[in-house]
Amino acid sequence: MPWRRALSLRVRWLAATLAALAVALVLAGVFLHSLFQDHVLRQFQSTLTQQLDQLTARLEFDAAGQASIDPAQLSDPRWHRPYSGLYWQLDEVGAPADAQGALRSRSLWDDRLRPEPDVPADGQLHVHPGTGPRDAPLLLVERTVYPADAPQRRWRLVVAGDLQEVTAASDRFARVLALSLLGLGLLLALAALAQVSVGLAPLRALQRALTALREGRTARLQGQFPAEVQPLIDDFNRVLDRNAEVVERARTQAGNLAHALKTPLAVLDQAASRADGPDPAPLAALVRDQVGRARRHIDWHLARARVAASQRLPGQRTPLAPVLAGLLRVMSKVHAERALRLDCTDIPADWAFAGEEQDLQEMLGNLLDNACLWARTRVRVEARLDGGQLQVVVEDDGPGIAPEQRQAVLARGVRLDEATPGSGLGLAIVADLVALYGGALALEAGSAGGLLARISLPAVR
Amino acid sequence: MRLLLVEDEPTLRAQLREGLMAAGYVVDEADNGRDAHFLGDTETFDAVVLDLGLPVLDGLTVLKRWRDAGRTMPVLILTARDQWNEKVAGIDAGADDYLTKPFHMEELLARVRALIRRASGQASPVLRCGPLALDTRSGRVTCDGQPVPLTSHEYKVLDYLMHRPGAVVSRSELTEHIYAQDFDRDSNTIEVFVGRLRKKLPPELIETVRGLGYRMAPPA
Repeated sequence: MPWRRALSLRVRWLAATLAALAVALVLAGVFLHSLFQDHVLRQFQSTLTQQLDQLTARLEFDAAGQASIDPAQLSDPRWHRPYSGLYWQLDEVGAPADAQGALRSRSLWDDRLRPEPDVPADGQLHVHPGTGPRDAPLLLVERTVYPADAPQRRWRLVVAGDLQEVTAASDRFARVLALSLLGLGLLLALAALAQVSVGLAPLRALQRALTALREGRTARLQGQFPAEVQPLIDDFNRVLDRNAEVVERARTQAGNLAHALKTPLAVLDQAASRADGPDPAPLAALVRDQVGRARRHIDWHLARARVAASQRLPGQRTPLAPVLAGLLRVMSKVHAERALRLDCTDIPADWAFAGEEQDLQEMLGNLLDNACLWARTRVRVEARLDGGQLQVVVEDDGPGIAPEQRQAVLARGVRLDEATPGSGLGLAIVADLVALYGGALALEAGSAGGLLARISLPAVR
Repeated sequence: MRLLLVEDEPTLRAQLREGLMAAGYVVDEADNGRDAHFLGDTETFDAVVLDLGLPVLDGLTVLKRWRDAGRTMPVLILTARDQWNEKVAGIDAGADDYLTKPFHMEELLARVRALIRRASGQASPVLRCGPLALDTRSGRVTCDGQPVPLTSHEYKVLDYLMHRPGAVVSRSELTEHIYAQDFDRDSNTIEVFVGRLRKKLPPELIETVRGLGYRMAPPA
């Protein structure tokens, strides 16, 4: 089933696309998040550096080299609010941690900063992570300062900021980023779905074309397909054409052979007839008998060849009305001497048989011929379209066939009345063809006492 | 009655000719499509027996050309081609009957007889004119129920006249349909046959139309 294959193709395609999409989005998220974190940290550090610069500017030294900062001059309220997250500390290098003269921001309250023991060189900034009040993670920025007239007393000025600000911003960003990426992922997944549908649409068109072919609405695959598929379609169409050609040729050859044999048989038959005078010569009788047999064989095998050649090709559609009209024209001429009334119901032009024209002609032609041979005054033809089946009824007002003999006339070469011309193959061939097309042939008693033949055949809708 | 027989197989053609002539027909022959077309186009025939598979020009084309040129003589197709679509094509090309090989001579004769009769507008196989009856199937002629013995030529003349009741038939037309093309035609012999017929039948049935020919009509 082409549809199942298309489905599995679609699933594979989608799965691969979605997996690649998920990996790409996760990688992008991780990368973007780390980029942002880095950026925020730099920003934070530069803010702290600015604060440090401002503090440095407020720094004053007395004559003894003692540094001091007047807190009243510091405008940022966070310097004064306890544990606000922004701290400074000034202590002398080399002095013990709790030595006299160390200064701290009020926000540090009773705690103190614990910078690394290293000493930054002149003009250098040192940045360290550390912990502050209540074990909060801090970022410390420090530099060494000294009074111009007492360079031996060195002081370390430290500014620290709470890293929770950074973490909070980064977390907020991560949440927004995750949501955005999820949204993007969904959109891309939808796009992939649409892409697969659009990409596979030609396959569905192909499936429809195949259905049309199978149902006999077309003889080849119709339509334009993408460049990747078209060569396949072209090849397939070439195979179909070649098939039709081979079948047609085989049919023609079989027909030619049969026709080539028929004229010599006619000559033999005529010659024997003339020798067949009032005192029948045994040779003439033998020749006539054998010619008759040979003729039946030819008719039978020709008909079988026709039957065997048909049905294999998809894409067959034979409108019923013109075939029936043509056959009725033949009947009205060939059986003109019998002056029969041939009645046929109106048949819509779009009622079509899903098979070969020649086969339909063979079936209907034999039924009509048979009916015309036996009818007394009229032959009635009626067609109906019934749920995918074409039903054709051919009824005559002749003597009919007894119920117990109806099965027998469908067998090969049986003729109930040897005196009536005809090869006796007609109904048997009809039965064969009908069976090949999965139809049904029924012989019944007609309303006028004659034979009523009813065939149902697959229709094209 | 004059027939055109078109068949390319020589043995079968000879057999057909013999069979048709034995039944009292005058037979002209052609063994290819071109000659057949020419004969049918220039001569008048009462019927044509036409094979389809012919050299030079195929039978179906010959038939179509005749019909296109307004030739209306009845044509019976006699062929080995027995598929229904071929029969439909033959009838649609203008054929009046279709018989497939191999065939029985009796059937061919019956069909040719019926074709000629229907072409002259006669529905019944028994032609009647007043007390006279001619059974085309058996070739028997009766007058008031009594059989009338006729010679072959007398029968041919009467047969032709009875196929055209009320119509004036000229001597040359009679000659044409009673003798083959290559026969030495002498219209005086026709007068002899008509004279003999008048003696055997009620004499007023065959009327002489001065300067034109003969007319067969029931007594008023």
